[in-house]
Amino acid sequence: MEYWGLNALLQHAINPSLQRFLSWGLLLPCLYLLTVTLFALSGGELAPHDPTAQQVLARLLPPLSASNRGFHWLGTDQLGRDLLSNMIAGARLTLFIGFVSNFIGMAIGVALGTLAGYYGGTVDRLIMRLSEAQTAMPMFLVAIFFLTVLGPTVLNVIIILPTLVWPAFARLVRAETLRLRGALFVEAAIACGSTDWTVLWSNILPNLAPRIMVLAVIELGHVMLAEAGLSFLGIGVQPPSTTWGLLIARGRPYLAVAWWLAIMPGIMLGLTVLALNMLSRRFAATTGSAA
Amino acid sequence: MRDGIIVLFLVTVVIFVLGHVIGDPAGLMAPVDASDQEIARLRRQLGLDRPFTEQFASYFGSLLRGDFGQSLWQDRPALTVVLEALPATVVLTLVALLFAGLGGSVLGVLAGARPESLLDRVSNFLSITALSVPNFWLGLLLIVIFAVQFGALPTSGFGSWQSLILPAGALAIIHGARVFQLVRSATFEEMTKPYAMVARSKGLPERLILWKHILRNTAVTMLTTIGWEYVRMMGGAAFAIEVVFAWPGIGQLMIHAASRQDFPVLQAAVIIAGAFVIVANGMVDLLYRVLDTRIRAA
Repeated sequence: MEYWGLNALLQHAINPSLQRFLSWGLLLPCLYLLTVTLFALSGGELAPHDPTAQQVLARLLPPLSASNRGFHWLGTDQLGRDLLSNMIAGARLTLFIGFVSNFIGMAIGVALGTLAGYYGGTVDRLIMRLSEAQTAMPMFLVAIFFLTVLGPTVLNVIIILPTLVWPAFARLVRAETLRLRGALFVEAAIACGSTDWTVLWSNILPNLAPRIMVLAVIELGHVMLAEAGLSFLGIGVQPPSTTWGLLIARGRPYLAVAWWLAIMPGIMLGLTVLALNMLSRRFAATTGSAA
Repeated sequence: MRDGIIVLFLVTVVIFVLGHVIGDPAGLMAPVDASDQEIARLRRQLGLDRPFTEQFASYFGSLLRGDFGQSLWQDRPALTVVLEALPATVVLTLVALLFAGLGGSVLGVLAGARPESLLDRVSNFLSITALSVPNFWLGLLLIVIFAVQFGALPTSGFGSWQSLILPAGALAIIHGARVFQLVRSATFEEMTKPYAMVARSKGLPERLILWKHILRNTAVTMLTTIGWEYVRMMGGAAFAIEVVFAWPGIGQLMIHAASRQDFPVLQAAVIIAGAFVIVANGMVDLLYRVLDTRIRAA
């Protein structure tokens, strides 16, 4: 009888494709994103201190220092509020805006892209013209104008951000739908009398899902960076709400005396986007789709 | 070119719809303590009680004449205010583009030629990192390192070439990272093509293959990528950097105008910067056609 060591057993049990998939390059981003998501879902529950609690005697403490309220991993701000707790509390709105805006952009892009690719003709020309015009338009400028005119509220930020991402989804989905439109299984489905809706929903979309997912992961990073930019410029999310972009803006005046206030939230945001970028590359490599 | 004009027209339509149909310019321009009657009078004065089609015609007519209205905050023509800020933005973005293009291309060719080498791995990881952080944050980081810690460079202002280093550096790093990514993959792709293999099998030194044959074929990608990065900068990426470094360009002007509810200046800035984006877009397209003879033939 052959002897199976634990390593060999594991190697045998986990199938080879999964093994290739598992690596530090995948685990670290996943763990980080999981942590950040937990922060967002718990909404301050996981924070070591009350994010709004002020403490005059413990102002501008550097990272890794202690006050009589406890230990401050990332230091405190000009009012003695714990920075790490604020960053954890800010995760909720940052991720919420990112997810919702990206999802809306994806839904619009996928809907228009499938319509354009499946029906072709005038519908296609119209939708693609629209997406081209939008790509050529300086949307960040329009976003600044929009938010100034209509007021910088969370809702308005969520309304304007999808306009930055939907053309990317529409272009990808249109090209893929066009390719699948002529595939044998789609022809067979049509020949069997499936309605357009059934063909799109159960034959074409499932085949596009991996690629849409890769793009969605990339675009989530873009949306989060755009939100941070708008909030930093003072035309996005407004205090007392907190996002990481806003925390960077809040720390900026204290750059010379307390660098951590502006730098640390940026690191948390940057690591999130970096993790998303690494994940999307990994997905693209394993699903065989170029991002 | 025709497409560019259509897009610019669309921009003005979007601005009009946002400003006049959805928004309320009179409400924004009136003092905070204005009564309803005063706001109504201002609305009549500005012609905002007329039908939207009529309003759009007069709005578009004055734009064509170069009349963007008076700045509410500086009491000068809005267009003058914007045009004064334009040179600073152009200088900043062009210098940043020069370094982004040079650095990104050279590193991209070197890394793409030796995939999985130490240089490739390190520069690839650094560029992905650079593309993952907000550019204004990178600007703040540079300030902390070079101005606060070492006291070597000025953090803000406009005048000496030293004050250009940090803002242009921050922009160049981020946009250079994207140039690097695209040039790297283009070089890598060309390296595996038959003509490169032929050159290699007939004994041509690797250096010659890379800098003569490969480079000629990646040059189009390189130049269009660099052009696209300019579009990105003028489309808003450079503006947060201007705010961080108090650089007196269009970006800073827009944010000041936004915080003062200076509607005409904001509108003029969006349209002028938008025109820049659209012209740059058109030039990239043109460049692509002129350089890549394969497209011309098709």
